[in-house]
Amino acid sequence: MIRGSGLERKSKASSEIPSSSLADMAFLLLIFFMVSTTFRKEQKRDVVIPEAEATQKLDEPRKYVLHLYVERDGSVYINDRHVPIDQVSAVVGPLYEQSDRRLVVNLRADRDVSYQVVDMVQKELQEARAVRVTFYTNLESRVTRERR
Amino acid sequence: MAIMRRKKRASGEIPTSSMADIAFLLLIFFLTTTVFDEEKGLSIVLPEAAETVAVPQKNILHMVVRPDGLVEVKRGESPQVQTVRYNEIEQIWRFEASRNPNLIAAVKTDPTASYRHMINVLDELQVAGAERISLQLLEAGQ
Repeated sequence: MIRGSGLERKSKASSEIPSSSLADMAFLLLIFFMVSTTFRKEQKRDVVIPEAEATQKLDEPRKYVLHLYVERDGSVYINDRHVPIDQVSAVVGPLYEQSDRRLVVNLRADRDVSYQVVDMVQKELQEARAVRVTFYTNLESRVTRERR
Repeated sequence: MAIMRRKKRASGEIPTSSMADIAFLLLIFFLTTTVFDEEKGLSIVLPEAAETVAVPQKNILHMVVRPDGLVEVKRGESPQVQTVRYNEIEQIWRFEASRNPNLIAAVKTDPTASYRHMINVLDELQVAGAERISLQLLEAGQ
Protein backbone atom coordinates (compact mmCIF):
# COMPACT_ATOMS: atom_id res chain seq x y z
CA MET A 1 0.00 0.00 0.00
CA ILE A 2 2.75 2.38 -0.79
CA ARG A 3 1.59 5.45 -2.56
CA GLY A 4 2.55 5.64 -6.18
CA SER A 5 3.28 1.94 -6.41
CA GLY A 6 1.54 1.71 -9.75
CA LEU A 7 -1.18 -0.66 -8.55
CA GLU A 8 -3.29 2.22 -7.39
CA ARG A 9 -6.13 3.72 -9.43
CA LYS A 10 -6.16 1.12 -12.06
CA SER A 11 -9.91 1.35 -12.58
CA LYS A 12 -10.96 4.93 -12.54
CA ALA A 13 -14.63 5.56 -11.80
CA SER A 14 -16.32 8.03 -14.03
CA SER A 15 -17.09 11.25 -12.23
CA GLU A 16 -20.35 11.74 -14.14
CA ILE A 17 -23.76 10.42 -13.23
CA PRO A 18 -24.98 8.11 -15.98
CA SER A 19 -27.88 9.93 -17.57
CA SER A 20 -28.55 7.76 -20.56
CA SER A 21 -31.22 5.74 -18.71
CA LEU A 22 -32.90 8.82 -17.26
CA ALA A 23 -35.61 8.82 -19.90
CA ASP A 24 -36.31 5.15 -19.30
CA MET A 25 -36.72 5.70 -15.61
CA ALA A 26 -38.98 8.67 -16.13
CA PHE A 27 -41.19 6.77 -18.55
CA LEU A 28 -41.30 3.82 -16.20
CA LEU A 29 -42.57 6.03 -13.39
CA LEU A 30 -44.99 7.75 -15.75
CA ILE A 31 -46.45 4.48 -16.95
CA PHE A 32 -46.65 3.16 -13.38
CA PHE A 33 -48.67 6.17 -12.23
CA MET A 34 -50.88 6.13 -15.31
CA VAL A 35 -51.70 2.47 -14.82
CA SER A 36 -52.25 2.64 -11.07
CA THR A 37 -54.47 5.72 -11.16
CA THR A 38 -58.15 4.92 -10.94
CA PHE A 39 -60.56 7.57 -12.01
CA ARG A 40 -63.75 8.11 -10.11
CA LYS A 41 -66.70 6.58 -11.80
CA GLU A 42 -69.33 8.96 -10.53
CA GLN A 43 -69.80 12.43 -11.73
CA LYS A 44 -69.52 15.32 -9.33
CA ARG A 45 -72.62 16.28 -7.44
CA ASP A 46 -73.45 19.72 -6.18
CA VAL A 47 -73.14 18.89 -2.50
CA VAL A 48 -71.53 21.10 0.13
CA ILE A 49 -69.91 18.79 2.63
CA PRO A 50 -70.13 19.68 6.33
CA GLU A 51 -66.98 19.97 8.39
CA ALA A 52 -66.11 18.02 11.50
CA GLU A 53 -63.12 17.85 13.76
CA ALA A 54 -63.47 14.15 14.51
CA THR A 55 -63.24 13.20 10.80
CA GLN A 56 -61.48 9.89 10.44
CA LYS A 57 -60.18 8.00 7.50
CA LEU A 58 -62.17 4.94 6.60
CA ASP A 59 -60.03 1.85 6.08
CA GLU A 60 -62.50 -0.09 4.02
CA PRO A 61 -61.75 -1.48 0.55
CA ARG A 62 -63.31 0.74 -2.06
CA LYS A 63 -65.50 -2.00 -3.43
CA TYR A 64 -67.35 -2.24 -0.14
CA VAL A 65 -68.16 1.45 0.03
CA LEU A 66 -71.38 2.77 -1.44
CA HIS A 67 -71.69 6.48 -2.01
CA LEU A 68 -75.09 7.92 -1.33
CA TYR A 69 -75.56 11.55 -2.23
CA VAL A 70 -78.27 13.74 -0.75
CA GLU A 71 -78.55 17.06 -2.50
CA ARG A 72 -79.81 20.27 -0.99
CA ASP A 73 -83.30 19.84 -2.42
CA GLY A 74 -83.53 16.41 -0.77
CA SER A 75 -83.02 14.31 -3.90
CA VAL A 76 -81.03 11.12 -3.39
CA TYR A 77 -78.50 9.73 -5.86
CA ILE A 78 -76.92 6.28 -5.79
CA ASN A 79 -74.38 5.37 -8.49
CA ASP A 80 -75.32 8.42 -10.58
CA ARG A 81 -78.94 7.43 -10.57
CA HIS A 82 -81.72 9.42 -8.99
CA VAL A 83 -83.51 7.23 -6.48
CA PRO A 84 -86.83 8.23 -4.88
CA ILE A 85 -86.30 8.34 -1.15
CA ASP A 86 -88.74 5.49 -0.42
CA GLN A 87 -86.90 3.26 -2.92
CA VAL A 88 -83.50 3.56 -1.22
CA SER A 89 -83.83 0.31 0.74
CA ALA A 90 -84.89 -1.55 -2.43
CA VAL A 91 -81.70 -0.35 -4.15
CA VAL A 92 -79.30 -0.75 -1.22
CA GLY A 93 -80.68 -4.12 -0.08
CA PRO A 94 -79.41 -6.22 -3.03
CA LEU A 95 -76.08 -4.36 -3.04
CA TYR A 96 -75.68 -5.16 0.65
CA GLU A 97 -76.31 -8.86 0.06
CA GLN A 98 -73.87 -8.91 -2.88
CA SER A 99 -71.11 -7.44 -0.74
CA ASP A 100 -71.21 -10.30 1.82
CA ARG A 101 -72.78 -7.88 4.31
CA ARG A 102 -69.66 -5.81 4.44
CA LEU A 103 -71.15 -2.76 2.77
CA VAL A 104 -70.45 0.61 4.32
CA VAL A 105 -72.68 3.44 3.20
CA ASN A 106 -70.90 6.73 2.80
CA LEU A 107 -73.61 9.32 3.19
CA ARG A 108 -72.64 12.49 1.38
CA ALA A 109 -75.37 14.87 2.35
CA ASP A 110 -75.44 18.59 1.79
CA ARG A 111 -74.84 20.53 4.99
CA ASP A 112 -78.04 22.53 4.57
CA VAL A 113 -80.40 19.69 3.86
CA SER A 114 -83.07 19.34 6.54
CA TYR A 115 -82.55 16.54 9.03
CA GLN A 116 -85.90 15.02 8.18
CA VAL A 117 -84.49 13.82 4.84
CA VAL A 118 -81.37 12.39 6.46
CA ASP A 119 -83.51 10.56 8.99
CA MET A 120 -85.65 9.06 6.22
CA VAL A 121 -82.49 7.85 4.47
CA GLN A 122 -81.24 6.32 7.73
CA LYS A 123 -84.52 4.49 8.23
CA GLU A 124 -84.33 3.15 4.66
CA LEU A 125 -80.78 1.93 5.29
CA GLN A 126 -81.88 0.22 8.49
CA GLU A 127 -84.58 -1.50 6.50
CA ALA A 128 -81.96 -2.70 4.02
CA ARG A 129 -79.90 -3.80 7.07
CA ALA A 130 -76.94 -1.72 5.92
CA VAL A 131 -76.28 -0.39 9.39
CA ARG A 132 -72.68 0.70 8.97
CA VAL A 133 -72.92 4.31 7.94
CA THR A 134 -70.35 7.05 7.58
CA PHE A 135 -71.35 10.66 7.46
CA TYR A 136 -68.93 12.12 4.96
CA THR A 137 -67.25 15.21 6.40
CA ASN A 138 -64.22 17.32 5.72
CA LEU A 139 -61.61 17.60 8.40
CA GLU A 140 -61.88 20.80 10.37
CA SER A 141 -59.00 22.20 12.35
CA ARG A 142 -59.55 23.38 15.88
CA VAL A 143 -58.44 26.90 14.98
CA THR A 144 -61.26 27.45 12.48
CA ARG A 145 -63.64 25.84 14.88
CA GLU A 146 -62.91 28.24 17.71
CA ARG A 147 -63.47 31.19 15.43
CA ARG A 148 -67.04 30.28 14.58
CA MET B 1 -25.76 26.73 -58.52
CA ALA B 2 -24.64 23.22 -57.93
CA ILE B 3 -22.53 24.35 -55.01
CA MET B 4 -25.45 26.08 -53.32
CA ARG B 5 -27.57 22.96 -53.35
CA ARG B 6 -27.83 20.66 -50.33
CA LYS B 7 -26.11 22.98 -48.02
CA LYS B 8 -28.58 22.30 -45.21
CA ARG B 9 -29.01 18.63 -44.69
CA ALA B 10 -31.67 17.61 -42.14
CA SER B 11 -30.51 15.11 -39.59
CA GLY B 12 -32.10 11.71 -40.06
CA GLU B 13 -32.45 11.06 -36.32
CA ILE B 14 -35.11 12.13 -33.87
CA PRO B 15 -33.54 14.27 -31.17
CA THR B 16 -33.64 12.22 -27.98
CA SER B 17 -31.66 14.41 -25.67
CA SER B 18 -34.80 16.19 -24.38
CA MET B 19 -36.76 12.98 -23.96
CA ALA B 20 -36.09 12.79 -20.22
CA ASP B 21 -37.22 16.35 -19.78
CA ILE B 22 -40.47 15.67 -21.59
CA ALA B 23 -41.07 12.52 -19.60
CA PHE B 24 -40.41 14.21 -16.28
CA LEU B 25 -42.64 17.10 -17.27
CA LEU B 26 -45.51 14.71 -17.92
CA LEU B 27 -44.73 12.81 -14.73
CA ILE B 28 -44.81 15.94 -12.60
CA PHE B 29 -47.97 17.12 -14.32
CA PHE B 30 -49.80 13.89 -13.48
CA LEU B 31 -48.40 13.78 -9.96
CA THR B 32 -49.62 17.26 -9.15
CA THR B 33 -53.03 17.00 -10.82
CA THR B 34 -54.00 13.68 -9.26
CA VAL B 35 -56.35 14.06 -6.32
CA PHE B 36 -57.06 11.04 -4.24
CA ASP B 37 -60.67 10.65 -3.28
CA GLU B 38 -60.32 9.12 0.13
CA GLU B 39 -63.10 7.73 2.19
CA LYS B 40 -63.49 9.65 5.39
CA GLY B 41 -66.12 10.90 7.77
CA LEU B 42 -67.86 10.23 11.03
CA SER B 43 -68.67 6.55 11.34
CA ILE B 44 -71.67 5.27 13.20
CA VAL B 45 -73.48 1.98 13.38
CA LEU B 46 -77.23 2.25 13.17
CA PRO B 47 -79.34 -0.05 15.32
CA GLU B 48 -80.86 -3.05 13.58
CA ALA B 49 -84.42 -2.53 12.43
CA ALA B 50 -86.19 -4.40 15.23
CA GLU B 51 -83.58 -3.74 17.87
CA THR B 52 -84.86 -1.84 20.86
CA VAL B 53 -82.99 -1.87 24.10
CA ALA B 54 -84.54 -0.53 27.24
CA VAL B 55 -82.11 1.84 28.89
CA PRO B 56 -82.66 3.31 32.33
CA GLN B 57 -83.28 7.02 32.17
CA LYS B 58 -80.34 7.79 34.41
CA ASN B 59 -77.96 6.43 31.76
CA ILE B 60 -79.20 8.76 29.04
CA LEU B 61 -78.03 12.23 28.21
CA HIS B 62 -80.74 13.78 26.08
CA MET B 63 -79.81 16.36 23.50
CA VAL B 64 -82.33 18.14 21.33
CA VAL B 65 -80.96 19.95 18.30
CA ARG B 66 -83.11 22.95 17.51
CA PRO B 67 -83.54 24.48 14.04
CA ASP B 68 -81.41 27.48 15.09
CA GLY B 69 -78.50 25.17 15.95
CA LEU B 70 -78.71 25.53 19.72
CA VAL B 71 -78.85 22.36 21.74
CA GLU B 72 -81.10 21.60 24.70
CA VAL B 73 -79.36 19.24 27.09
CA LYS B 74 -81.35 17.23 29.61
CA ARG B 75 -79.67 14.86 32.02
CA GLY B 76 -81.55 11.62 32.44
CA GLU B 77 -84.37 11.95 34.91
CA SER B 78 -83.84 15.54 35.92
CA PRO B 79 -86.45 17.83 34.37
CA GLN B 80 -83.94 20.64 34.11
CA VAL B 81 -83.15 21.72 30.56
CA GLN B 82 -79.97 23.57 29.73
CA THR B 83 -79.66 25.35 26.38
CA VAL B 84 -76.10 25.47 25.12
CA ARG B 85 -74.11 26.13 21.99
CA TYR B 86 -72.82 22.98 20.38
CA ASN B 87 -69.17 23.67 21.24
CA GLU B 88 -69.95 23.28 24.94
CA ILE B 89 -71.13 19.72 24.44
CA GLU B 90 -67.67 18.21 24.52
CA GLN B 91 -67.10 19.44 28.08
CA ILE B 92 -70.57 18.47 29.20
CA TRP B 93 -70.10 14.96 27.85
CA ARG B 94 -66.65 14.54 29.41
CA PHE B 95 -68.00 15.67 32.77
CA GLU B 96 -71.10 13.49 32.67
CA ALA B 97 -69.25 10.43 31.30
CA SER B 98 -66.68 10.65 34.09
CA ARG B 99 -69.51 10.36 36.60
CA ASN B 100 -71.38 7.62 34.75
CA PRO B 101 -69.37 5.36 32.39
CA ASN B 102 -72.55 3.73 31.03
CA LEU B 103 -73.89 6.98 29.67
CA ILE B 104 -75.62 6.95 26.28
CA ALA B 105 -76.00 10.03 24.14
CA ALA B 106 -79.47 10.42 22.65
CA VAL B 107 -79.43 13.08 19.97
CA LYS B 108 -82.86 14.15 18.79
CA THR B 109 -82.89 16.52 15.87
CA ASP B 110 -85.75 18.75 14.84
CA PRO B 111 -87.02 17.74 11.35
CA THR B 112 -86.49 21.26 10.05
CA ALA B 113 -82.99 21.64 11.47
CA SER B 114 -80.03 21.57 9.10
CA TYR B 115 -78.04 18.37 8.75
CA ARG B 116 -75.00 20.52 9.61
CA HIS B 117 -76.22 21.12 13.17
CA MET B 118 -76.60 17.41 13.81
CA ILE B 119 -73.11 16.81 12.42
CA ASN B 120 -71.72 19.48 14.77
CA VAL B 121 -73.22 17.73 17.78
CA LEU B 122 -72.12 14.29 16.59
CA ASP B 123 -68.64 15.70 15.99
CA GLU B 124 -68.43 17.07 19.53
CA LEU B 125 -69.56 13.76 20.97
CA GLN B 126 -67.01 11.81 18.95
CA VAL B 127 -64.25 14.23 19.91
CA ALA B 128 -65.22 13.72 23.54
CA GLY B 129 -64.90 9.98 23.03
CA ALA B 130 -68.57 9.01 23.19
CA GLU B 131 -69.17 5.58 21.70
CA ARG B 132 -72.81 4.91 22.37
CA ILE B 133 -74.73 7.47 20.39
CA SER B 134 -78.33 7.27 19.30
CA LEU B 135 -79.60 9.48 16.50
CA GLN B 136 -83.29 10.16 16.37
CA LEU B 137 -85.80 12.49 14.82
CA LEU B 138 -87.57 14.81 17.21
CA GLU B 139 -91.20 13.81 17.08
CA ALA B 140 -93.83 16.51 17.24
CA GLY B 141 -94.88 17.35 20.77
CA GLN B 142 -91.72 16.13 22.47
